[in-house]
Amino acid sequence: MPGRIDRRVFVKAGGLALLSLGLDPIFLTRAAYAVRRTGNAGGGRKTLVCLFQRGAVDGLSMVVPHGDPHYQRERRRVAIPAPGKPDGALDLDGYFGLHPAMAALLPLYRDGSLAVVHAVGSPHATRSHFDAQDYMESGTPGRKSTVDGWLNRHLQHAAEHRDTPFRGVALGPRLPRALRGVAPALAIGSLDGFGLRASQEVVRDRLMSAFEELYAASATGLVASSSAEAFEAVHMLRTLRPQEYEPAKGVSYPPSRLGRSLRQIAQLIKADLGLEIAFTDMGGWDTHVNQGGGTGQLAGRLRELATSLAAFAHDLGARMADVSVLTMSEFGRTVAENGNAGTDHGHATAMFVLGGATVGGRVVGRWPTLDPAHRYEGRDLAVTTDFRDLFGEVLVRHLGDTDLTRVFPGHPVDPTRWLGVMPG
Amino acid sequence: MTIRMIVLGLVLLPLATQQPGRSDAAAPADSLTRARVVHLLNRVAYGPRPGEVERVLGMGIPQYLERQLYPERISDSALERTLDEFEILEMSTKEIAQLFRAVRQERQQMARTRAARDGNDADERRAPVTETMRRFRRLIGEFRQLSVTRAVLSERQLYEIMVDFWTNHFNVYIGKGIEPVLLPAHVATAIRPNALGRFEDLLVATAQSPAMLFYLDNVQSVTPGAEPPGLQRLREMRANPRARRGPRRAAMRARADSILSTLEDRLPAGLNENYARELLELHTLGVDGGYTQQDVVGVARILTGWSMNRRDRYRFVFNDWAHDYGAKDVMGVRYPAGRGIEEGRALLRYLASHPSTRRHVSVKLCARFVADEPPSGCVDAAIAAWDETDGDIRQVLAAIFESPDFWEHRGSKLKSPLEFVVSATRALDVMPGDEPSLAMMLQRLAQPPYGHEAPTGYPETQESWVSSGALLERFNVAMAMASGRIPGITVDLAKLVPTTEPHALVDAVDRLILQGGATAATRDVLLEQASETALGADARALVVGLALGSPEFQRH
Repeated sequence: MPGRIDRRVFVKAGGLALLSLGLDPIFLTRAAYAVRRTGNAGGGRKTLVCLFQRGAVDGLSMVVPHGDPHYQRERRRVAIPAPGKPDGALDLDGYFGLHPAMAALLPLYRDGSLAVVHAVGSPHATRSHFDAQDYMESGTPGRKSTVDGWLNRHLQHAAEHRDTPFRGVALGPRLPRALRGVAPALAIGSLDGFGLRASQEVVRDRLMSAFEELYAASATGLVASSSAEAFEAVHMLRTLRPQEYEPAKGVSYPPSRLGRSLRQIAQLIKADLGLEIAFTDMGGWDTHVNQGGGTGQLAGRLRELATSLAAFAHDLGARMADVSVLTMSEFGRTVAENGNAGTDHGHATAMFVLGGATVGGRVVGRWPTLDPAHRYEGRDLAVTTDFRDLFGEVLVRHLGDTDLTRVFPGHPVDPTRWLGVMPG
Repeated sequence: MTIRMIVLGLVLLPLATQQPGRSDAAAPADSLTRARVVHLLNRVAYGPRPGEVERVLGMGIPQYLERQLYPERISDSALERTLDEFEILEMSTKEIAQLFRAVRQERQQMARTRAARDGNDADERRAPVTETMRRFRRLIGEFRQLSVTRAVLSERQLYEIMVDFWTNHFNVYIGKGIEPVLLPAHVATAIRPNALGRFEDLLVATAQSPAMLFYLDNVQSVTPGAEPPGLQRLREMRANPRARRGPRRAAMRARADSILSTLEDRLPAGLNENYARELLELHTLGVDGGYTQQDVVGVARILTGWSMNRRDRYRFVFNDWAHDYGAKDVMGVRYPAGRGIEEGRALLRYLASHPSTRRHVSVKLCARFVADEPPSGCVDAAIAAWDETDGDIRQVLAAIFESPDFWEHRGSKLKSPLEFVVSATRALDVMPGDEPSLAMMLQRLAQPPYGHEAPTGYPETQESWVSSGALLERFNVAMAMASGRIPGITVDLAKLVPTTEPHALVDAVDRLILQGGATAATRDVLLEQASETALGADARALVVGLALGSPEFQRH
């Protein structure tokens, strides 16, 4: 690829150039080059945003099967009322409805950019948050020895925009399991705090170059690769000026961590830095106690999720044509409520696919019903869609992944199991 | 397989390339001993303070270890003087609870006023902060700082490491409900007295800790249909109020109705599996420890009634009205009908001595003290010591430190944010106090004390802590510390590093911070920075900050 500079050579050259204590011309050239190059490519650069709902969201409250006779019966205190009743579900297709706190997503469903997948999850039986998250992020349910995450494996094998440090970015202080592995990926707490803080720019530059030299010279292994990515990203971000970002007119993100994360992901997408995979997460879904119904604890979390996603979609506007957002959670919750007006760890849950190219406006996935005879282990919603089939379809049809067998080893690729959430 | 090998290669590389002088065969005896002392202070303590390597060399490695394993024999007067500053240590749970309730009342009052004034658009973020809220916030900050201050200042270093280890193993999240009230007692009475004692005692203490029972919802778990005795009395009152006639009687009846329906709504009506599951998965057997979903339910039933008394100082209480007195089977053991709290104690004894528990906890200890992927030698040694001593943690640790694996894995672990901050503070001979600056630093580094929401606790492996953003944050912390920009903390660099002559300065900083372990390349960079004065930056602070942020200082 013309113009591509090897990462190690690049950092070393940068280090030497910085001996003069001036601004390093190579970095500026590179940053400008990156912006120009991707700018030339115009749209067409696809981005996948993964949003992990950590703690196991209650899929049956998020996407309510109000047409299923068992639903109200099993959930005396936490059921969402039927559509039309006060705080009732927002009907989608006569059988399923959105939680009333998620009204912000309804227009996106109606215009076809939001698809709902129900009864999706992991084939593995575990009800441990830790294991189930681990499996959903490694992409290998039941196999703990997998060292890398499925998103990282996609990045390892797909060659496009390989030459930008922003190809895989997690918003947060730590890199999530799904993005860990040999392909470079960044963890960014916040864009405007990313880098060294110093009272004067000249001091900051000097520090930065000194640390770069230290790490180019003496770091090894994971520390070396992570630091190289950090320095490269800091230099590119300087041209971006994240603190000056203004979302599209009339759009305001909720002032929550998720709102801030999605806002920054939108900014990275608009800046054409080559972002291919973005990852963010949100906690507070482990509702063992006082889960609430149409209002209450869970409703508050769902409102935050829905308004953040809606703000993101409106902020990106036409750019959403190249963007897919995929939500996920490690498992669902028990069909029956527990003794504390909450729900315990269950099996299948619901997920969303949001994007300009989504074949949406539908609830997809085979519905196993809440009939006790069809439940998993007699108590939980059964999984009828393996999460790897959903994730795999999105990787292939949205990002053009050509080798799913390496992303999800041990899981045969079978497009007949795909749900058609993206145009084939 | 290939990927695994590559990653493994990356992990092992530092050993091969970074410490050429530390090869056992090539080094003369005294430098080897010195390297072993540095290793000891890095793993059994939170890194050396200035002059400490020499002190331990004088004392001898076995003597140092012996002292650390019996911390009650070590005087800790410097720490104790500092602890006098901490108001939180003088407050009872009851007093913290009163403050907590006062804050909540003020918040609710303000929310009502705001709602009345602004309607639904009331903006919570603009709520004013009252004196009570400030006092409460300061107390909680102090409590979080306390764990870091102890780690920095205590002479009982291994003991403080174990307090952190168990606090994390039996994780409780301070952000949930009334945990700020319950956590100080949890640390003081469940964790600290048992940190080097018997595992079973520790397990029982955490199982009877209100902080744990509240965090994992066991206080809410009751046998289906159970009701507290007070509820029946309330029903009788409703049926037959004492007021004789007329509107007063109707009003009382209405009030009793509303109390009843609120109570019935909030009343736990059945089992909650949360604690039972984490007890098996995280605290004892481990996720592959050989239990089933049926066993989780059995454990939850056995532990019904293990709760806390909210009215009286939040102590542990066994509510026999909530307990399931039926027969249960857990992992092939029968718990006959009619047993109360004693069947829970029997269960905990069983779990504490189960082979899966031994292995699970031993692997975790070795991951902390030896290597992220613990070699089987030290794990087997730990398990054997556990068997021999019936879970005496002190003896298990002694076995780990005696195993060859412990000494062979020098410099192989990446410091966690806590280890990074505490070792840097110790290297700079800083005396932190009750101002929560170190706790806030840990917040920025993604490891705030008591701040892990999920029951797993913070991870131990380097993959969890190394990322681009995390490294940049470490640089920021390193520079802030070296340049004395941290409130409540005084760094006397001129005393630590008397010279500013570049070569002597780099030598001194290498000794002070990196124990002479700087690579030639690192020394070149430091020297170049020490010689550069054009920007007028303080060369001392610059070089010290760079050393704290260097790749060498991130490992131990």
